[in-house]
Amino acid sequence: MKVDREEIITASYRSLAHLESIFADESETVIADARYGFIAGLVKDVVKKPPIERLTLSDQIDMLIINRWFGFPLLLAMMYLMFQFVFRLSAPLMSWIDLGFGSLAVVASGIGGWEGSLLAEGVIGGVGSVLMFVPPIFLLFIAISVLEDCGYMARAAFVMDKVMHRVGLHGRSFIPMVLGFGCNVPAVMAARTIENSKDRITTILINPFMSCGARLPIYVLLAGYFFADHAGLVVFSMYAVGAAVAILMAFGLRKTLLRGISSHFVMELPPYRLPTLRGVLTHMWERGRLFLKKAGTFIFGVVVLIWLLNYSGALEPIGKAIAPIFIPCGFGQWQAAVSLLFGFLAKEVVVGTMGTLFAAGEGVLGQAIATQLGWSPLAALAFMVFCVLYVPCVATVATIRSETNSWKWPLFTIFYTTATAWVAATLIFQVGGLFLG
Amino acid sequence: MVVALAGNPNSGKTTVFNNLTGARQHVGNWPGVTVEKKEGICRWKGRSIRIVDLPGVYSLTAYSPDEVIARNFIVEEKPDAVVDVVDASNLERNLYLVVQLLEMGAPLVVALNMMDEADSRGYRIDVERLSQLIRAPVVPMEANRNRGTQELLDEIAKVTDKEIRIPELIVNYGREVEEEITKLESRISSAGDLAKRYPPRWLAVKLLEKDQQIVEVLKAVEGG
Repeated sequence: MKVDREEIITASYRSLAHLESIFADESETVIADARYGFIAGLVKDVVKKPPIERLTLSDQIDMLIINRWFGFPLLLAMMYLMFQFVFRLSAPLMSWIDLGFGSLAVVASGIGGWEGSLLAEGVIGGVGSVLMFVPPIFLLFIAISVLEDCGYMARAAFVMDKVMHRVGLHGRSFIPMVLGFGCNVPAVMAARTIENSKDRITTILINPFMSCGARLPIYVLLAGYFFADHAGLVVFSMYAVGAAVAILMAFGLRKTLLRGISSHFVMELPPYRLPTLRGVLTHMWERGRLFLKKAGTFIFGVVVLIWLLNYSGALEPIGKAIAPIFIPCGFGQWQAAVSLLFGFLAKEVVVGTMGTLFAAGEGVLGQAIATQLGWSPLAALAFMVFCVLYVPCVATVATIRSETNSWKWPLFTIFYTTATAWVAATLIFQVGGLFLG
Repeated sequence: MVVALAGNPNSGKTTVFNNLTGARQHVGNWPGVTVEKKEGICRWKGRSIRIVDLPGVYSLTAYSPDEVIARNFIVEEKPDAVVDVVDASNLERNLYLVVQLLEMGAPLVVALNMMDEADSRGYRIDVERLSQLIRAPVVPMEANRNRGTQELLDEIAKVTDKEIRIPELIVNYGREVEEEITKLESRISSAGDLAKRYPPRWLAVKLLEKDQQIVEVLKAVEGG
């Protein structure tokens, strides 16, 4: 196909307008800054300078942020603060939305009959319990955008470069990992910038352990009820567990299936910038829009299907057939098994299914789970860890299929993630049980 | 065989040029402009290498005629090798040109000049690591004492003989910019003749830098 040159120029004007509205700056400045960032990273790697030097403000901040001893603890602290920010700010917003859906459900069940049940339990219970998590998901996207736009994310990758080399990867694999906190699909695609194929496949295979935004509702729901006093810390720990397992797995894969030496790259250090409100909001919307769209279409469909299976009595036998596998993990109830099973379609569905099954009129889903399933906090913790680690959603598996151009790696991912999750959940429930008596 | 000599002003480029060519020099003008063009012949190990001295520049934008001359020569004449003379004591500023040359896909050899000056300022440069990261040969030199010239010629020969291939350097411009680059790049690649003359990614970056000269080139009639 021949493309008209005029068309290329027009396309470039569109790109320029888009970039300049996001960055609120001239596009050539943005590009020059990135190039200087590349050079700054290169020079930091290659040149040892004498201690007495006139330092720019950016250099002085970098001395602290990418410091050999201080950089890594600071990175952990930043991530911890990020989840505290997300959790504390979203809690009141969520209870308002919850109240709203709760009263809607009361009205709907007043209709009576199967129509009332479909509306109250299926649509409002299922989709409503997913939509309730709009505030934390959007706040998480805001936090990630701010860290990206101000230049901190590039520093985080720089700090992680040394750590990652120890496990046979490099800092470039870190960016897809952080993007995985948003959604694993673009994160797996982001691994394209890694040229070496073994490096790339390792980066892709460990990505599902990075807990995506769709899994956040599970933690917020369960941590909020079972660990009310330390909810922020528990949610943060889930992400930390995911990241730690990802790094351990990378180490294991590089020693076995994907043996090789990690290649070297320049880790960019772009100048610090004040994020623009417009840029941050644009990013939040670009990412969050997909979540809303998914809730309105795909998840709506799945939840109605689950309601139908439940209403016709077909759901319970399915759940009961699988449930025994999860007895050692502490959540051997058929409702939990069904939630996890349908969670393969989309992780939001785990909570959505619970919402349909326990359709608590006043909307206290956490309490309904505790009383009807008889979960202890330990069982809830094991369930959360299982959700962090087990099979990624079908969209992620499909992306792994297309990005690795083989069936081998997506199938491998399905089995090794689920096995890891089962072992981890069982360990937590059994070993934890010994200590708690 | 043609080798272009690039570098920032005051990087010792003229000294390197003199070391390479001796008295066999010829001075003229670049076509159409009153910018001096120096050329010389370097005889080495039975070869005759034509050395073209490009104007001293810090960057390769379209803002000054010097920069346009330098980059057009590299893009259009496609020299067998490009040597960028770099002031090691001012590495950060000098690397800006190195990075741009590598982004163009120039067959680059970096002449890391003024190593003595860098040493006396206490800079310790890991030459091997630098070469590994930019994936191009780097030769430490002290041109004012005529040190490193032979080593430089050795590396030039490896590049011109295609013993080593210098890959196009990919600078990561961040997610948003990269998305736009990818869009433009695929359009450019589909416009057959264009991709043959210019590296598509480089052209895309130039368009996003609002490079007027590149826009003019695009507007020109096909084959023009």
